[in-house]
Amino acid sequence: MESHAEVKVPIRLTTRDPTIELPQDAGVMLVQTSLRRPQLSSLVNSLLRPDANPIPFDILVNGQFLRTTIDEYLTKNGVSAETTLELEYTRALVPPLNVSSFEHDDWVSAVDVLSGGNVQSGQERILSASYDGLVRVWDMSGDVLATSQAPNNGGRVTSLKTARWISDKKIVAAGLDNTVRIYKYDEDTRTITTNLELFSHRWGVEDVAVHGPSNRILSASSDSTISLFSANAKENPAAPANLLPNSTAAANKRQKLSKPERTVPARGALSKLTGHTSPVSSVIFKPDDATVAYSASHDHCLKTWDLTTSACVDTRTTGHSLLSLTALPKLNLLATGTSARHITLIDPRASATQISVMTLRGHKNAAVSLDTDPNNENSLLSGSHDGTAQIWDVRAVRPSDVQGEGQVGESIYTIYRDSAGGKPVHAHGEGAKVFSVRWDIEVGILSAGEDKRVQINRQMGK
Amino acid sequence: MAFNSKKRKVVTRDTPSENDSDDELANGLLSGILSHSEDESDENQEGGVDSGVSSEIEGLSDGGEEDEEDGSDTDLEGDEQDIREQFRNLKTTDKPSSRNAVDITLDHDLEANTNGEMEEEGEDMKPNYTVTTDANGNLRYIYKEIDPVYDSDDSDAEATNTIGDIPLAFYDEYPHIGYDINGKKIMRPAKGEALDALLESIDIPKGWTGLTDPATGKPLNLSEEELDVLKRLTRNEVLEDGYDPYPEMVHYFSGKTEIMPLSAAPEPKRRFVPSKHEAKRVMKIVKAIREGRIQPYKPPAEEDEEDEAVHYDVWADEKPRPEKSMHIPAPKLPPPGYDASYHPPPEYLPDNDEKAAWLGADEEDREKEYLPANYEALRKVPGYERFVKERFERSLDLYLAPRVRRNKLNIDPESLLPKLPNPEDLKPFPTTCSAIFRGQEGRVRSVSFDPSGIFVASGGDDGYVRIWELLTGRQVWNVKLSDEEAVDSVKWRPDREASILAAASGESIYMIVPFSILSPDMEQASRDVLDAGWGYAASKPSTTTNSVTKEPPGKWSRPGTRLEAKGVLLQTMVRSTVKIINWHRKGDYFATVSPRGQSTAVAIHTLSKHLTQLPFRRLKGIAQTAQFHPSKAIFFVATRNTIRSYDLAKQELVKILQPGAKWISSIDVHPGGDNIIVGTYDKRLLWHDLDLSTKPYKTLRFHQEAIRAVRFHQGGLPLFADASDDGSLQVFHGKVVGDLMENATIVPLKVLKGHKVKSRLGVMDVDWHPREPWCVSAGADGTCRLWS
Repeated sequence: MESHAEVKVPIRLTTRDPTIELPQDAGVMLVQTSLRRPQLSSLVNSLLRPDANPIPFDILVNGQFLRTTIDEYLTKNGVSAETTLELEYTRALVPPLNVSSFEHDDWVSAVDVLSGGNVQSGQERILSASYDGLVRVWDMSGDVLATSQAPNNGGRVTSLKTARWISDKKIVAAGLDNTVRIYKYDEDTRTITTNLELFSHRWGVEDVAVHGPSNRILSASSDSTISLFSANAKENPAAPANLLPNSTAAANKRQKLSKPERTVPARGALSKLTGHTSPVSSVIFKPDDATVAYSASHDHCLKTWDLTTSACVDTRTTGHSLLSLTALPKLNLLATGTSARHITLIDPRASATQISVMTLRGHKNAAVSLDTDPNNENSLLSGSHDGTAQIWDVRAVRPSDVQGEGQVGESIYTIYRDSAGGKPVHAHGEGAKVFSVRWDIEVGILSAGEDKRVQINRQMGK
Repeated sequence: MAFNSKKRKVVTRDTPSENDSDDELANGLLSGILSHSEDESDENQEGGVDSGVSSEIEGLSDGGEEDEEDGSDTDLEGDEQDIREQFRNLKTTDKPSSRNAVDITLDHDLEANTNGEMEEEGEDMKPNYTVTTDANGNLRYIYKEIDPVYDSDDSDAEATNTIGDIPLAFYDEYPHIGYDINGKKIMRPAKGEALDALLESIDIPKGWTGLTDPATGKPLNLSEEELDVLKRLTRNEVLEDGYDPYPEMVHYFSGKTEIMPLSAAPEPKRRFVPSKHEAKRVMKIVKAIREGRIQPYKPPAEEDEEDEAVHYDVWADEKPRPEKSMHIPAPKLPPPGYDASYHPPPEYLPDNDEKAAWLGADEEDREKEYLPANYEALRKVPGYERFVKERFERSLDLYLAPRVRRNKLNIDPESLLPKLPNPEDLKPFPTTCSAIFRGQEGRVRSVSFDPSGIFVASGGDDGYVRIWELLTGRQVWNVKLSDEEAVDSVKWRPDREASILAAASGESIYMIVPFSILSPDMEQASRDVLDAGWGYAASKPSTTTNSVTKEPPGKWSRPGTRLEAKGVLLQTMVRSTVKIINWHRKGDYFATVSPRGQSTAVAIHTLSKHLTQLPFRRLKGIAQTAQFHPSKAIFFVATRNTIRSYDLAKQELVKILQPGAKWISSIDVHPGGDNIIVGTYDKRLLWHDLDLSTKPYKTLRFHQEAIRAVRFHQGGLPLFADASDDGSLQVFHGKVVGDLMENATIVPLKVLKGHKVKSRLGVMDVDWHPREPWCVSAGADGTCRLWS
């Protein structure tokens, strides 16, 4: 054994993060094969900043996180100890710990965070939309600052499916009553008032996307269409008459019976994107270009839209219903969660030949919400109906055995619901389904779900 | 000859005894005895011939006398040798006497010697001299005058060594060996090399022995006779001179027939006639044997074999069998190894741990049958207590192990199975439960997807119709149709422009527009569809005005404000409890089945006209379910054991299918229209190809309990599922090819388990998503489950 411990392997340390690059290239070093991640991490620290506080690093070898000794890695993968190992170091993911939970009256369908920009640290606002039809704004200590009024929609179901901050004064939310509503949030009086009702959809709205600078809103609906709105009432055309709640006699009667007359401006859509054949589950703006949008639908298709012409530019057909969508701008990839319990990474560029670049497996139920890591462009957060939120790293992948699947990765951390005791629940996730996740650089990881609470996990010590 | 040898033995035996007696009696008493013997011999000679035997017994007689007697007894033939031997014997008897004389003299000398010494000692004790002083003052011994008696002069005595009682060895160092009577040194005779040289030069005198007389130191010479005696003594022979231990054999009886026999008398008759006396005695014995007084042999002891162990000859009727070519001899036991020895090498002996392990192990787990043990010797080895058991087991092994070669068919059983595609290649199909719709009380009896695939409607025992959001399992709408009756069936109208849900509770069929989840224009479209018939219904009674007696089979009406406020807009009453609703593909017609209604069991309703029709006046059997053909104007009705298809346009019976089932529970028609699956309460799932025959193309028996519902996927995927009372659903791949030459491929894909069995009911209904490979099941445990 002693002679074994003496075996040394040449390594070269690299990183993709310019902030933690070595001052001068250390070249090839000889290290013992019995080293593990902590020793290598301290080695990098000693090279990088010998006098400062050490940063925990993760070590990637050929796209895999080193979880054993180098020797075991070499033995497992059949690599000779004489070849130079390319070790990529990266800031280690500190396990996010459960910080607090914001309790609601009903299932929480969506959560969003107002932070960055001119928002002071500690003054972040958390927005949550619930199945009881109300949007709430919370402060960081878990107090409700404001709650919206229940909408008067002629006796229809009011459950909200999605909500977003447009700016620090405006909120957009939509749900099963087919209407996209823009609320005005007043921090001083702590009120949320309905500012605008946008009518375009004939079935429930599944997702909205917001482009703040241009005040543009995209909404994806179960009626297989996507509508483009403006947050400013005046820019939108008049609402289609047949979709207004008081359009039918019976509905008009119900509406008059239920609530006193209250005038909320109603408007229609700037444009309507049709092309999907099934409910559209998710839509996003292209991160660097607000004239391009991507949408994912139950009809297995991922479509690229040119918003200026309202035309479908590109269609990527996968094998499964797509339920969520997010963009990884640095990698030029789109991540989409499927009903087949995995996350597929798709290159939307027309030059890409392969439909699925990467497949991330590990969820036990449909992945319905995705967000990116604000600290790390390679990292990804997903929320699933199996009651977990999982963190993925697109570097920790290996080639798949299945043709056309690209590379396969596994999650590097799993967050379980605090309401379920922090333990895994059944695959059907009854009572603990996660509906929405958000990863904010200040607040941490937020996840909302069937357990009627917003759970906040934060990486301590960062 | 035998007699002869006997005689000789007698002689040889007697002679040594004589000699012995001579030796024993040698000390001084010889003369008397000799004389006595002479007297006896004289007497014996006078005594005569016949007393030979007695003289032998007396024993002390001389050999000579014996020989004389022998002669008298046997020398009738007259042999010269005998006489010569007699003389020789006589001589031997003489010899010892002379030698005894020598011995006596020797003894006497010794005696005299000792006596002399004694006398000398005695004289020393009382000195025969007086000590005086002479003129010089020296001591002077004046001896007494010697009396010249006979003993006083010993000048003729031999010069003897007078060293007294001192061992001669004391003089070993000196040239002399003692002193003679005169005080002169007796010089040691010459010996060693000088003597050897002398001996070389001179002849060895007669009788020289090389020994030295210890008394005189002079060579001890022995006479020839003395040497002979000594030689015999050393050889343990008879000392007598001339004794021949191996005398020539005397042939007293020879085969030679004398010319003149000693007796001329003829042979007596008794020599060749059987003895009458003997015959008499034999006959006496024979008679006794015959009478049983004497038993010629001891009769064997009668053993009671019955009392002892009964033996069966197992192999009594076994016939020798010819050696077969297929015969395999019994396998040989392996030869014993070193450790089976009674005295194995120490490395084969188990240590304590191994011993304990062996003893602790179960008998069948032991590697060895025995524990090697060491005994110093074979005789210390105890009896083998497992012997009988071991033999028995070996016999049992040989008996039970079949040693027959069998010809096996070398066919891979897998190759006999039909080639079915791997289920992995037939993806997608539902594999796991991805949502549970909970919130109902009692059984859920029916479940239905809405045409857009967003919502699911369910109806159950609690009288509620509920609508759920599909993926999340959120209940978005519900209405209570009835307090008493269960909702037996719910079915969405197959139209994406309007959203109407049909539900059957009791004898009523309700048309529901769940407006709260609909957009206003959708709600309006649905209302328009339902309201279209009111005018027709209003106009209809005018045509049949006075037919009060004939009650229409269905009454169409509004259900009341409470239900209307919830969106239930239309109610149709029929005469008996409706169990099944099935829509026509265009959504204008729907068929209902109420199994208990005799002639009104199957009804076809027209929504646009609010019209109910009864297509069958009389139905054979109890109707179970009814369905429209997906593309043609054909109507399927299933009774308990048969399925009939009718052409609605021509109004005639097309086909009767006989699945061979005891009780059909449900049927479903393939979207292509040429295949039907049938679920039965007798646990079978039957696939009917309408083009093939009236008998099922395939029977699938995979469920333990009754099958409640079967359903084809309607959205283009080759899937079908069944729901069973054993709490499971089974998903199948059922691909129908347009080609008529090829039969349908049916592959079982997945068993979906999750529903609990409640009061022997498991899964009540199943429905497929309109596009995706997802299905929803209704369970008796009060839940619906989405499988994806």
